[in-house]
Amino acid sequence: MSTLNTIDFGVAANSQLHTALKSFSAEKQAKLTEWTIPTRKTEAWKYSSKRLGISASEVSSPASDNSPDNAPDNAIEKAYAEAYSLDCDTLIISNGELTQALPVIEGLSITSFSNLNDKQSKDVACGAIASADNLMFADLNAALLQNGVFIELAENKHITKPFKIVFQQTGEGNSFPRVFIKLGKHSSMTIIEESHTNSGLSVTAIVSKQNTAILNSVTDIHVSDNAKLTFLKMNLDETAYRHIASTGVSLMRDARFNSYCLSLGNQLNRHDLLVKMMGAGAECDLNGICVTTDKQHVDCHTCIEHIAPNCTSKENYRCIADKQSQIVFNGRIHIHRDAQKTLGSMSNKNLLLSSEAEIDSKPELEIYADDVKCGHGTTIGQLDETELYYLKSRGINHEQAKLMLTLGFVLEIVRAAPVIEIAEYWEQTLANILSYKL
Amino acid sequence: MLEIKNLHASVDGQEILKGLSLSIKPGEIHAIMGPNGSGKSTLSQVLAGNEAYEITSGSITYQGKDLLGMATEDRAREGVFLAFQYPVEIPGVSNLQFMKTAINNIRRHRGLDEINAADFIKQAKAKIAQVNLDPAFLKRGVNEGFSGGEKKRNEIMQMLMLEPTLAILDETDSGLDIDALKVVADGVNALRAPDKAVVMITHYQRLLDYIVPDFVHVLAKGKIIKSGGKELALELEDKGYAWLGIEEATA
Repeated sequence: MSTLNTIDFGVAANSQLHTALKSFSAEKQAKLTEWTIPTRKTEAWKYSSKRLGISASEVSSPASDNSPDNAPDNAIEKAYAEAYSLDCDTLIISNGELTQALPVIEGLSITSFSNLNDKQSKDVACGAIASADNLMFADLNAALLQNGVFIELAENKHITKPFKIVFQQTGEGNSFPRVFIKLGKHSSMTIIEESHTNSGLSVTAIVSKQNTAILNSVTDIHVSDNAKLTFLKMNLDETAYRHIASTGVSLMRDARFNSYCLSLGNQLNRHDLLVKMMGAGAECDLNGICVTTDKQHVDCHTCIEHIAPNCTSKENYRCIADKQSQIVFNGRIHIHRDAQKTLGSMSNKNLLLSSEAEIDSKPELEIYADDVKCGHGTTIGQLDETELYYLKSRGINHEQAKLMLTLGFVLEIVRAAPVIEIAEYWEQTLANILSYKL
Repeated sequence: MLEIKNLHASVDGQEILKGLSLSIKPGEIHAIMGPNGSGKSTLSQVLAGNEAYEITSGSITYQGKDLLGMATEDRAREGVFLAFQYPVEIPGVSNLQFMKTAINNIRRHRGLDEINAADFIKQAKAKIAQVNLDPAFLKRGVNEGFSGGEKKRNEIMQMLMLEPTLAILDETDSGLDIDALKVVADGVNALRAPDKAVVMITHYQRLLDYIVPDFVHVLAKGKIIKSGGKELALELEDKGYAWLGIEEATA
């Protein structure tokens, strides 16, 4: 399998797209013609490149068949949709395409990329997640741009009902969904991003067929002055899937971004979260939970760019790896020269449940301003024997005591998730993943 | 109820208990006193089933069963309760969840159905009021950020919830102000019943002003060297341990 490939994109950009978007896509194509699949030597992919296991041409070929015949299995989608009950509006992007009528919500305009006006097209192109070494898959998504969805919340509008975006993928091909979210000034809303993937094949079939499917999704977010976005993200992926998600957030003056990301393991679950503090007084609060078991893999890269002064960033990520699984956490805070009076804090706590599990944690602080407060803390440990003994001394059996302590390690974050139905569902999901069999 | 015979126990290869024997009958309250390093806490940990302690010889029979052959959780289910000298903080697990899980484990063991949620909450609120703690403590992580006194009260709260047959209190009275001490004493006195027994390990005679023991034992160098009635405690308070030929270890 060759890792160095010249990509022939072959696909012309969607002719219906606005010129601004076409040239945006073409730029990325030009940049990626001599793209190499990341290897161990690519710092941002050091621990995860082996999980890709595919060539550049495989990674960039669009979904094999997006015809209506290959529409997602409704039974599967129904099961995902019924996993928990929540009163919300839902937008489904299936294999990168819009197959259903767009929801209509007062104050929220939802438009397919093919129908964007001048300004919106430029917003998408200019507000796209910045290129970086670790974001090459976001570039790839842009290079293969066919369609996407533009979601814009009007100024001063506050929507309390959560809005859910589902990236659905079925079949064996790749898909490249893209969403651009813009919150107008002084507005607020809650967005839930979920991935539902299912190849329709059994795990063994996927492994033996060397399935190359990748769900490569990009979510760009622009939060205007004094607006607030609450963002919850989780992946409900088939274990054998590869899912690479990139989230780019621009925060303008006094904007707030509050995120809760649950990353569950699969063949490869990579999430890049880039937050740019563009306007003074902006705040972000990033919370994450990564849980893996068996031979699963999660790779979470977060990067907070403090560009404007007087901004505050908080970050709290907890990871639990069981059996032979692996979790990578890379948290970067970059404080630019003019970002004086920045307050930054990052905490990453990790729990290893087996001697074969691996967690690689790397906090990175890069500070160029001289009047800032910024700190980080990382711990890696195993279950505390004294705590286990204490629980058992009250009659609780060993397996249950382990589960209580393990869940307890992440529950503080789970329970803080601002949508109670989701918090409960996450707790249940984690209990199922971590339940110890006697 | 409890029969300890010639018990030898060591931790990290060092022998702490060197032939301890003790017999406890239902309805009795025993106080165990002794200087630092005499093996008081080792005894309590061995009874509760701390695996860090190795039993090299001797036996413990509890209600006719071999206690040493029982897993930690099974001992608790059979009614053994240890109030820890240093209660453990468990962030992320709420006191309520902890107690509910414990009670249900014990109930299942006894062939009972799980406790009704409303009954449980009612009971938990009553017991937490009994130990004079704010009900908000029920929702907090187990002992998380509690003061020393609050932790000890929380131990007593757990004891009242679990209604053990044999309660062992390991220096539960240490570091308590007089109000908290009364709470602990009231808790123990509330537990007193003809079919239950209490072992109080204490450093100070003060506790015994509030809980009157049937027997007082002096533990030194891993053995019980003297036993008597409650007046023995007063004598110890007066004279220290030297008259028994023991040098107090400087801890």
